[in-house]
Amino acid sequence: MDVLRALTENRLWRSVVRHGVRGTNRNRVMLVMENIFLHLHSAKVRRRSLEISSTYYLGGISLTLFAILTITGLMLMLYYHPSVPQAYDDMKELQFVVSNGVFLRNMHRWAAHAMVLAVFFHMLRVFYHKAYRPPREFNWVVGVVLLLLTLLLSYTGYLLPWDQLAFWGVSVGTNMVKAMPVLGPAFRFLLLGGNIVGENALLRFYVLHCVFLPLALVLGVAVHLWRVRKDGGIAGSSGLRRADAGKIP
Amino acid sequence: MSQFRLEKNNDARAVPRRIALIRREAPARLLEGREEVRMAAPHLLVREVILIQICVVVLAVASLLFDAPLEGIADPSNTPNPAKAPWYFLGLQELLHYFPPIVAGVLLPALAIIGVVVIPYFRINVEAVGFYERPWRRSLAILGAVTAPVSVLLVAYRVWAVLVPTLLIFSLLALPAVPRCPGAWRRRLSRVPLSDWIMTWFVAVASILTLIGIFFRGPGWTWTWPWRDGIF
Amino acid sequence: MKEGEDRREGTVTRRGFCQAAGLSACALATGGAAAVSADFLRPRVLFEPATTFTVGPPDAIGPGAVLDFPAYRAFVIRLPDGFRALSSVCTHLGCITRRDPDVNLIACPCHGSRFTLDGDVQSGPAPGPLRWLQMALSEKGEIIVDTAAEVPQGTVFKF
Repeated sequence: MDVLRALTENRLWRSVVRHGVRGTNRNRVMLVMENIFLHLHSAKVRRRSLEISSTYYLGGISLTLFAILTITGLMLMLYYHPSVPQAYDDMKELQFVVSNGVFLRNMHRWAAHAMVLAVFFHMLRVFYHKAYRPPREFNWVVGVVLLLLTLLLSYTGYLLPWDQLAFWGVSVGTNMVKAMPVLGPAFRFLLLGGNIVGENALLRFYVLHCVFLPLALVLGVAVHLWRVRKDGGIAGSSGLRRADAGKIP
Repeated sequence: MSQFRLEKNNDARAVPRRIALIRREAPARLLEGREEVRMAAPHLLVREVILIQICVVVLAVASLLFDAPLEGIADPSNTPNPAKAPWYFLGLQELLHYFPPIVAGVLLPALAIIGVVVIPYFRINVEAVGFYERPWRRSLAILGAVTAPVSVLLVAYRVWAVLVPTLLIFSLLALPAVPRCPGAWRRRLSRVPLSDWIMTWFVAVASILTLIGIFFRGPGWTWTWPWRDGIF
Repeated sequence: MKEGEDRREGTVTRRGFCQAAGLSACALATGGAAAVSADFLRPRVLFEPATTFTVGPPDAIGPGAVLDFPAYRAFVIRLPDGFRALSSVCTHLGCITRRDPDVNLIACPCHGSRFTLDGDVQSGPAPGPLRWLQMALSEKGEIIVDTAAEVPQGTVFKF
């Protein structure tokens, strides 16, 4: 305890964290309010919304997976060149040469699959709990956009290893875009930067996957979380679950 | 719209009989008592840290056990057989097997997205009234009139994978209308709102199509049994 | 707009004019930026594989032969009535079809479409027949196929 006190009761610590560490309620509130990383939380939360059955923590799981994806993705970028056929050679290098390369790639891959699942289940949870009801209509729309962004992120990342799986998965997908009336062929041409899935397409998917879509997702998540706070905290099951209906009044 | 303040008091001695009237479409906000909130600082943050730890540990173990797939280098002149999209698009790919691309690749996904987006704006299910908790005979007739031609269409295209869950969900929905329906079933089913029925139908169809795409499709997109031929 | 301001029907106040001018400038700049960006995103030179390839002299192809050129995504077929070149790109979603010699059909591995040697859809989800391609005889007497030039279905070439 003396070490803790010595660490926290000096000018340097106090210049960063302005409140003490003693377990007073004031300090607990300050910890949340005075910290840029925590201030999206409210100082107090409803007991009900902490229960697993009110959210199953699916939004939190999605966000955690996105953080894991960002970190592992940034590290993988250091060994990846978005060009043909270097991209595939880099996969082999990750597999056989780079220390822990396989582990990082596995982690990125499985986290991506898990995030698609988590975001989808998050949407289902919100639907069945009817947590999209006014005033949360707009946040539901933001959530749908985030689901689409998640799918796009996963899909653009799918091409990057430049193996058979990637190439044909993306060929089939972009031909689906071509089936769209009027705008389809032109949009596919812009997306691929050409008529075939080639070098330009790889570079475009790389830029979308590593810069554009993550930025869009971060922006969307910021709006999403902000609205959750502004609309009165998470709507576990908006307090009116059937099972509760007899108990509340 | 009149707002009601809903106060919660579980002290049976202070308030021996408690009653509150809430209009169903009113945004129900529970003004909870003091004992119903927790400080975020230890309670929520600890849960978040545990959540992050669980996610990292589970992913790390999965990554040590299972390797991400990597096939041969991309070859534009040689389509692998079967050529499968990522698993979350296999439901769409399975649909593409039955319908032309404009329908399965563009129309149906666009309809699904639009349908999901408009849910809160059309006041869908804001009242959360069960299908049988209001006059239901006309609604059931309309639903039947929609389901019948859709089923005929599905039979014409031989889309059994969509037909079976459609009929199953519809029969569950219609079950309480049958006089001989067991009481427990009727009580449970009649409380489910129409929007939940539709979403459940959508989820059932999407998961069945996706599972078929993942496990039951082999070379040339022919039907295979995963336990006999393996997963392609 | 302030109350009591002297404003008749159809007159434009100075404030209104400035607001309209400012908003128009913003709209113009946004539209221009969007147009320039869209133009930037459209590549003007493509480094993609050539669309013509040489098959060889006509005599080298025996009657009834079905030659597969996966690198150029085309079949060259000689039937009793003459030569034909079919694109091997499935009209469904662009997978490369392969010939199934057992049933003498062309089959797509992606969604299970099957085509006859005339390119007609025999079964499966493909919305249309395989494209027929332009063939020509070079000066050296070799058959050249152009995968970018489509000819009407049933155009048989005789060399």
